Amino acid sequence: MSIEKFIQNAATGWMTAHGENSDIVLSTRIRLARNLRGYRFPIAANDDEALAVDKIVAGTLLDDDEDDYTYSRMSELSSLDREVLVEKHLVSPHLTNPKRHGAVLLSSDESISVMVNEEDHIRIQCIYPGLQLEEAFNQANRVDDILEKELPYAFDEDFGYLTSCPSNTGTGMRASVMMHLPALTITKQIDRIIPAIGRLGLVVRGSYGEGSKALGNVYQVSNQVTLGKTEADILEDLGNITSHLLAHERRARKLLVEKSQIALENRLFRSLGTLVYSRLLQTGEAARCLSDVRLGIDLGIIKDVDMTILNELMIFMQPGFLQQFAQTDLTQEERDIFRAKLFRERLAIDGSRPSAEKGTEE
Amino acid sequence: MICENCKERPASVIIKKGYIGEAVERHLCEKCAFQSETFHFDPNNEPLSIQQFLSQWFGGTEPFKTEQQQARGNQFGNIECPGCNLTFSKFLDIGKFGCATCYDTFRQHVPNVFGKLHSGHTTHTGKIPVSFNKVYAIKRKVEEVRAKMQVAVAEERFEEAAALRDEANELQKQLAHGGEERNVD
Repeated sequence: MSIEKFIQNAATGWMTAHGENSDIVLSTRIRLARNLRGYRFPIAANDDEALAVDKIVAGTLLDDDEDDYTYSRMSELSSLDREVLVEKHLVSPHLTNPKRHGAVLLSSDESISVMVNEEDHIRIQCIYPGLQLEEAFNQANRVDDILEKELPYAFDEDFGYLTSCPSNTGTGMRASVMMHLPALTITKQIDRIIPAIGRLGLVVRGSYGEGSKALGNVYQVSNQVTLGKTEADILEDLGNITSHLLAHERRARKLLVEKSQIALENRLFRSLGTLVYSRLLQTGEAARCLSDVRLGIDLGIIKDVDMTILNELMIFMQPGFLQQFAQTDLTQEERDIFRAKLFRERLAIDGSRPSAEKGTEE
Repeated sequence: MICENCKERPASVIIKKGYIGEAVERHLCEKCAFQSETFHFDPNNEPLSIQQFLSQWFGGTEPFKTEQQQARGNQFGNIECPGCNLTFSKFLDIGKFGCATCYDTFRQHVPNVFGKLHSGHTTHTGKIPVSFNKVYAIKRKVEEVRAKMQVAVAEERFEEAAALRDEANELQKQLAHGGEERNVD
């Protein structure tokens, strides 16, 4: 199986399948950070050490019969292929630096991604659609068991799994849920909720992790604390917060409809119009409009637009994917033109006017 | 921007060095920053990174405060990790450990860091690797056998004591062997 399969297979598993509460929770991700005993961490390792770690980890997983992995070394991929892997959330931007001997092992359904020589020697990542904390954890834990059976981990009786960054020490586990929270954003409640969540040992960020803004009202909620709590405690805390956010978002949506239906419909249909008729579409605008249309579908205001197509477009609209799809490098303006064209084609129904437009005439 | 030192990797760390009357800013990659001698981070960089967080808690890396850094160096005794040559002061600057040995080297100081980062928690309570459990089981067994041996000696059951001593030595060997196996390099 080649890397092309992953790149070409645009809408990855967690984007197309439906999980619990998948109208609001887009995906669940579990990441486990592990290091091998006897080797310096990637930040301090020399080339020989990094290559040895790569060989040991990749060897162990490729020899294992339980999963069918594809191995890719970052230095052997084109910059575009690396960008696409980042856009699919299968590798971190940090891993793609070709000088750091980074590599990734991907399971055939892309639900498991094992990064080698990221900030830690091993980063096991499992992504599931919708809200599936336990399922994603069980999968990551299974891969961890396979590795730890063969490889001696850097582990300490007091501090647990030893990681390069002290913010991961202990369980080495980061559990995150990606949530689409447009109503909490429109009503500005999210600004009050984020600091409150911070006080509970959890953190809310934009969809691309630390430092990124919430593109298209998609937020990542994850645990901040990894030490002194068991994996089960962490999952329970995150599950509770997610449920609260789900309830808050649903309530805010209901209130929006009740209090300002016309203004809301106006905004959502204008966004649909932008996506369907634009000739130039920038990433930020596309993400904002996609969020609105998604909300419109969830509220039953916009009908006959397929949610799967929206999920697909969330991935497709990113620069790396667009260029992969166009089979060529594109300038920013060319990308905006191409993005607009892609949206028009995917959202038009039978080449005629989209049904939502008929809706406005009712 | 490319790292000024290796000219290969992208620069991700800004280091500010103060000289009399002027400031010099260096843009380095994470790896070169790890290897560099002294550095300061721009506290205005957003978001608050782990190193900025640590610096602020531990009395910091505000630019040009070399005296303070000196004092901090003394405070932590300038211990250097034998595994990767990281000092605790440098750890506070970059916010990353270089190897697993750092945890042993700075064992006295790290719980303080963990307490701040992990809502007061300093001890792991989660999953334990199976291999680690095995080592612990043997260690506990050795302690148990030795305790029995001492009782046997006290009660002048010397033949039994000798057998228990051999058993303890055998287990100890397993432990040493296990330890070697666990070191991959």
